[in-house]
Amino acid sequence: MAQPEKKSGLLRKSSGSKKVFKEKVVLMYDEIFKTEDPVQNNVRFWEELFLLKVNLEYLEAKLESLVGDQLMQMKDNINSLFHHCVLTLREDHQIRVVNALQTLCGLLRGVHQKNMPNTGFDIINILMGFDNAEEEMKSLMVSLDSLLCGDGSLSLKGLCLKLLLCLITVTGNISQNTILEYIMINSIFEAIIQILSTPQIQQHLGYDAVVLLALLVNYRKYESANPYIVKLSILDDEMALNGTGLVLSRTLCEYNRHYKSKEEEAQGGIFSTITNIVGNMFIGEAEEKLSPRTNESLLLALYEAVHLNRNFIAVLAHSHPEMEPATPPQSPSSPNTPTNSQLDGNLPTSDALVSTELPLDPNTQTSNLLITFLKYCSIVMQDTKDEHRLNSAKLCLIILTCIAEDQYANSFLHDDNMTFRVHLHRMPMRHRKKVVDKNVPSRPLACAVLDLMVEFMMTHMMKDFPMELYLRCVAIVQKLICYQKKCRVRLHYTWQELWAALISVLKFLLSHETVLLGKHNIFPLALQVVNLFNMFITYGDTFLPTPGSYDELYYEIIRMHQAFDNLYSMVLRHSTNNGQWKDPASKVTQALVNIRAIVNHFNPKIESFAAVNHISQLSEEQVLSVVRCNYDTLTLKLQDSLDHYERYTEQPREASFFTQLVRSISADVRRTLSLGTLSQEVLLKEFSTIA
Amino acid sequence: MYLFLNVQILYKVWTILIPHCAPIQFDVTFFFFPHPFLLFILAAMDCDDRTRDELSELSVPRDAVADAQDAALGPCPPMCGNGNTLGCILESIGENVIDPVVAERTCQQVLESLMQKQDVADNVCGSLEGQDEVPDGSLPTSASAVGESSKECKVHSSRGLQIVTTWTLAKCDRAGDGIKRDKELLNLEGLPRRIPANSSASKQSLLLRLFESKLFDVSMAISYLHNSKEPGVQAYLGNRLFSFPPDTVDFYLPQLLTMYLHGPEEAGDAIKPYLVHRCRHGPDFALRCAWLLGAYSADGPAVSSRQRHSRGTKLRRLILADELAPTAGSSADQQNANSGFGRARSKAVIGLIPPSLPCPGTVLSAISPSKRTHQRSKSDATSCVSQAGVLRRSSSNPKVEMQSEEGQGSWRPESSRAVQCLLQQVEPSDDGQGGSVEPDRRTVRLAPEREFLKSLMAIGKRLASLPTKEQKTQRLVAELSLLNLTLPARIWLPTAAFPHHIVRLPYTQAVVLNSKDKAPYLIYVEVLECEDMEHSPVPARIPESRIRNTRSEENLLEEFSITSEHRAGSFTMVPNIDPDEDAWAQDDIADLQVEQPEIHKSDKSTNSSDTISQFSVDSITSLDSKAEPVYFLAGDIRRRLSEQLNVPATQFRRDPEDPSAAALKEPWKEKVQRIRESSPYGHFPNWRLLSVIVKCGDDLRQELLAYQVLTQLQAIWEQERVPLWLKPYKILVTSADSGMIEPIVNAVSIHQVKKQSQLSLLNFFLQEHGHYNTEAFLCARRNFVQSCAAYCLVCYLLQVKDRHNGNILLDQEGHIIHIDFGFILSSSPRNLGFETSAFKLTQEFVDVMGGQDSDMFLYYKLLMLQGLIAARKHMERVVQIVEIMQQGSQLPCFHGASTIRQLKERFHMSLTEEQLQMLIDQMVEGSMRSLTTRLYDGFQYITNGIM
Repeated sequence: MAQPEKKSGLLRKSSGSKKVFKEKVVLMYDEIFKTEDPVQNNVRFWEELFLLKVNLEYLEAKLESLVGDQLMQMKDNINSLFHHCVLTLREDHQIRVVNALQTLCGLLRGVHQKNMPNTGFDIINILMGFDNAEEEMKSLMVSLDSLLCGDGSLSLKGLCLKLLLCLITVTGNISQNTILEYIMINSIFEAIIQILSTPQIQQHLGYDAVVLLALLVNYRKYESANPYIVKLSILDDEMALNGTGLVLSRTLCEYNRHYKSKEEEAQGGIFSTITNIVGNMFIGEAEEKLSPRTNESLLLALYEAVHLNRNFIAVLAHSHPEMEPATPPQSPSSPNTPTNSQLDGNLPTSDALVSTELPLDPNTQTSNLLITFLKYCSIVMQDTKDEHRLNSAKLCLIILTCIAEDQYANSFLHDDNMTFRVHLHRMPMRHRKKVVDKNVPSRPLACAVLDLMVEFMMTHMMKDFPMELYLRCVAIVQKLICYQKKCRVRLHYTWQELWAALISVLKFLLSHETVLLGKHNIFPLALQVVNLFNMFITYGDTFLPTPGSYDELYYEIIRMHQAFDNLYSMVLRHSTNNGQWKDPASKVTQALVNIRAIVNHFNPKIESFAAVNHISQLSEEQVLSVVRCNYDTLTLKLQDSLDHYERYTEQPREASFFTQLVRSISADVRRTLSLGTLSQEVLLKEFSTIA
Repeated sequence: MYLFLNVQILYKVWTILIPHCAPIQFDVTFFFFPHPFLLFILAAMDCDDRTRDELSELSVPRDAVADAQDAALGPCPPMCGNGNTLGCILESIGENVIDPVVAERTCQQVLESLMQKQDVADNVCGSLEGQDEVPDGSLPTSASAVGESSKECKVHSSRGLQIVTTWTLAKCDRAGDGIKRDKELLNLEGLPRRIPANSSASKQSLLLRLFESKLFDVSMAISYLHNSKEPGVQAYLGNRLFSFPPDTVDFYLPQLLTMYLHGPEEAGDAIKPYLVHRCRHGPDFALRCAWLLGAYSADGPAVSSRQRHSRGTKLRRLILADELAPTAGSSADQQNANSGFGRARSKAVIGLIPPSLPCPGTVLSAISPSKRTHQRSKSDATSCVSQAGVLRRSSSNPKVEMQSEEGQGSWRPESSRAVQCLLQQVEPSDDGQGGSVEPDRRTVRLAPEREFLKSLMAIGKRLASLPTKEQKTQRLVAELSLLNLTLPARIWLPTAAFPHHIVRLPYTQAVVLNSKDKAPYLIYVEVLECEDMEHSPVPARIPESRIRNTRSEENLLEEFSITSEHRAGSFTMVPNIDPDEDAWAQDDIADLQVEQPEIHKSDKSTNSSDTISQFSVDSITSLDSKAEPVYFLAGDIRRRLSEQLNVPATQFRRDPEDPSAAALKEPWKEKVQRIRESSPYGHFPNWRLLSVIVKCGDDLRQELLAYQVLTQLQAIWEQERVPLWLKPYKILVTSADSGMIEPIVNAVSIHQVKKQSQLSLLNFFLQEHGHYNTEAFLCARRNFVQSCAAYCLVCYLLQVKDRHNGNILLDQEGHIIHIDFGFILSSSPRNLGFETSAFKLTQEFVDVMGGQDSDMFLYYKLLMLQGLIAARKHMERVVQIVEIMQQGSQLPCFHGASTIRQLKERFHMSLTEEQLQMLIDQMVEGSMRSLTTRLYDGFQYITNGIM
């Protein structure tokens, strides 16, 4: 098979600008793109066609060059090409099957690149013809399904997945792709699940399968009954769920490791940092290098799994002990295709590695998907400057929201027996040293989530204020606290950090009031923050770890009373001036009642204490003792529904976000989908030994 | 004593006969010396075999009959060592060489002279019938008949065989079908019957009367089995075992197996039918047998002969190949009834398996393909599909699954194998019309449980390689969570007292225990009690995340469990195979369509509404009415907080270096409640929580011995009404270096108590139970004294060493409990002569009792005295346990020759009660003042940090 290609290459070189030698397959393509039936000249035309190596470029270019009407004229031939492709899929001859699959890809892409304004039915008409469409697609799906579930080679299955991905991503907006309607009718969900639940196949094809599933779920999500949504939400095959989890954590892990190695590289010493800075001046992309491109398709898959399937929540806690030692740090040439052969080659031997290498490396921690995800979040959230990364961060926070709402997830987040040391990545900032504290105590995972939220709040108070992300952040904290209150979980967390972060958020809102009010409604965020404090004040007895921490809460409020005073005067101003913010501002005013009561109650007491004892500056201990002595005379008002929260719903608020996201993902997938001839070589090698 | 003498005499007779045996047999082999006496011996021996077989056959139903017949026809008199040679000799001799008349006469003479010599033959009416040549070639036999007290003697000459006394027919009461069978057999004329040769009938009858008396219990049976060298007695006792309640016999299983392995041949043969019978009826028993056999023959070869050793291994292999499953047995029987081949086969099944017989191999290979279909959903799907005749992935599937199996193998071999087995097990092979399912069911009986334990042990091994406690704990949780994926399955905890299936491991509760280099760990196991482990259906899996929030979800759960059972449906793409499933799926879709805008929420909707309603309920109760604002005092909140935090002072704080302390301190009831609430299975009424310590790399055989002794002492004291308190904890030995221990709930070690509370023991008592005069404290102190006295006695009698505070537990009610019997009897830790005192009694202990002059201390000493007197009374029951276990054992506790003698001496049979009292006083004094105890505690503190 390789012979003609070589020859052509040689000829092309020597003959130069003379008449270009055409491959036979190209000639046959030309046959097709005529109006008469190619079988007229050659009875065995179709059989021969699929024996020849596909020339995708030519096929796609040819289709692209055709004008709409021309295409319509060739409709019959294209229809029969499609028909024969589908027929060939059923054959035993693997090379023909491969060629047919690739031809189908080329055909689909080529036709779609026409990008006709009235997409949809026309394309179906050109590809299959209206009358046969249903039959053809059914036959195609049945063949694909049996190929995916059969005992064929991995490459073949991979190619099937690629064809499906190709089919799904040909249009910009997935929901406008009418061909998908047939995939909805002829479900391949089971085939995907089988791939995911079979470890060996999952290792190789899991990534594509997961992306495919995520995209399928997003087809007309908000308009019609998507059977994939239904099936995914009731899926309870543990092996498949676990397989999905493995794919996700492998990819995220890979990303984290990549980032870490980059980071360590960047920290090489003073000299290298200087050169880096200098380099940054000239090449603006250095930053891009440090934070590699995020992988949204995987995040989307994680989101769909967490959001749709309650059983998947359990998978988050499944540990993957051999994950990290199994894959040694490697140069990740393409974070988008983590299923490269190097990785796969390593996994099967992982067992031997684990048993011998684990004890040697005491830093190796048992990890699970959630921890990996939290680390990933900490990287993604560091830099939200560009739109793309902002979206990633948002999706991360949405996923965390879903997790924080789930009862079961909360139960293991707060489980005292499941403690981990989670090393979150922290953004290097001027005003704080980058502490690489190796001695993070082993704590329940909820602590790590809270840390992440605190970190986010402290590091994103910038001019281009990500209001929405802040709201999500505070909401996640609130959800965790609601669970703790309800289940009386006393998390040993240093709450001061959270309080400090919340107060700084308030301060930031106050100091940039005018700028922010131009873009956002800042009052819901202020209300949420204040209500979080109210939660602590009112229900602290149910979830604070020590009586001392309740005192410290008061201390913190009293110490930062300026911020609350200012906030009060600000919201009072807005609620009385009958402006557009009247209602939301007055809500904040009401919420501040208790904090004001505390401030007004204790401040005079502390002042008098200072006066009596002639101390200008009271120590923390002294203030705390004053606080302790004066609780009993303080009356507070019970506020309504502090422990209520609005549950997350995708529709309608996030619908457009996801539509956009899916659009960009599908563009991404389409771009990176390599049906290149390189795979052809591999395939041929593989099949030549089989056949 | 008299009875014992009787047995002794019997024994002497037999020993006189035996020495002749070997040379004579040798002669016969070469036809040099066809002396008639020989024949008598041979015949006697042969009869002996038969009798034994018959006796077993009396109570071992159908299958054993086959066995017996085989034994009768086939060449298998184990007594003579090599059965095969004897078999062929008998055939050839029988026809050619022997003159029956001579044989007869000589036999008689020999017999008579023997009896006279022994002076025991006061009532013999033995007659030896001359034998004609037996036409069908079966062996000519003569036998002696010994009269019974009734002087009845029956002589049967038909087919040239045998006399019988009714002795062996024993009116021994047997349970159930045994009786019927006995009677049938009694009516069968011509079936071989025999009595033990040359026994004194009157004394015999006394022994018999003992055996038949109401007082005769398992303990005595074991004792006689062990001491009697008389095959008849042993055979009888072997049968008699059937009449005891199984659980009482279970207690002596280690003894029985040791006798089987290392004891005399006859004892082993007498026990075997019983073992086989029980193995057949209880997978639990079968596995226990197999494990113990493995463990006890681990260090056997050095001591016992090769042949005996292989006997144990053979039985073990037999059990593990699950040849003893009921279905297998019955089918073998049917075959047996039909054809000669059947006999051979059942022989292979029940008796010794010649390696050439492909029996186990074929069974295994027949199983292996079906083993592959480990995911029931898929296998169901395939069968459904092929039935429907639609072209689907029916053909391709098995291969895919094979791949998946291998893939898993690379992922984690043990657990994945467990996954397979367990999963395969989950599905009761109910669709077993096809013959292919048959072998499946058989291996399935034991395989899942074995895999389960294997994976638990493998986890222990892997944990041992991790350096820190924290990593161990994390890893443990991770491993268990994976194991959890395979549950529920038809597996059980052998330490539990009731039949059940394990449904879930609350893996986050598991903790690693304190140990320097090994990694024992404690797991909790959720089980559902069931009626019959083997036949009750295994509960369907309920996904982890479906925690039941409210009652209203109960219906939902029902539905879910149905669906998970019919999961297959969601796998197959062909509709209308399972109408139920289909309907459900469509309903679900319809539901989703109705709530179109929020499809994704439908699955969560119930949950969400619940939680929200709960929230609102919360806030409504706290808000008495929405109209008026409610006020509260900040001081109240602060107060409630500090109150709530002060109440659970009984809890230990979490310590990453000692994770087990906090876990063990939590009161069991609370823990059960907590786990039940968080479990998806918690709502089942038959839900139970069990816990078990998995030990890997430790030999638990000594622990098992200690458990038996402790249990025996406990029973003795209960019987004698001495209020001494012991807590024997159950031990499961799975091999010579692994096993499981039933943890003691609500107890923490004194080391942990002192380390966590930083209080002296007495102050800890005061903190836990209240002040001196409170009822709780007094009660706790009484418990302490009663348990302390009991354990002091145990420590003294068994010479328990290594008594540091990490090995002494304190339970919620104030009892102390000693654990870790790694150093008992003749063994002690290799240290510098520490622990020379009789037992550990520190000043702290005495303080808890109230000081040396207190009433409680006197009570303590009194209890010790009473306990020792009671134990002395039943010394035999205790000593016998140890003595039997000594056979063929390499355990360090039997080091040296005088172990048993010294043990007996410690009971001080010769002392008067006054002397005993003095002894006790002396020991208490000595122990209290013992410097070495303090030194040892100090040594432990320095070396291991044990306080």
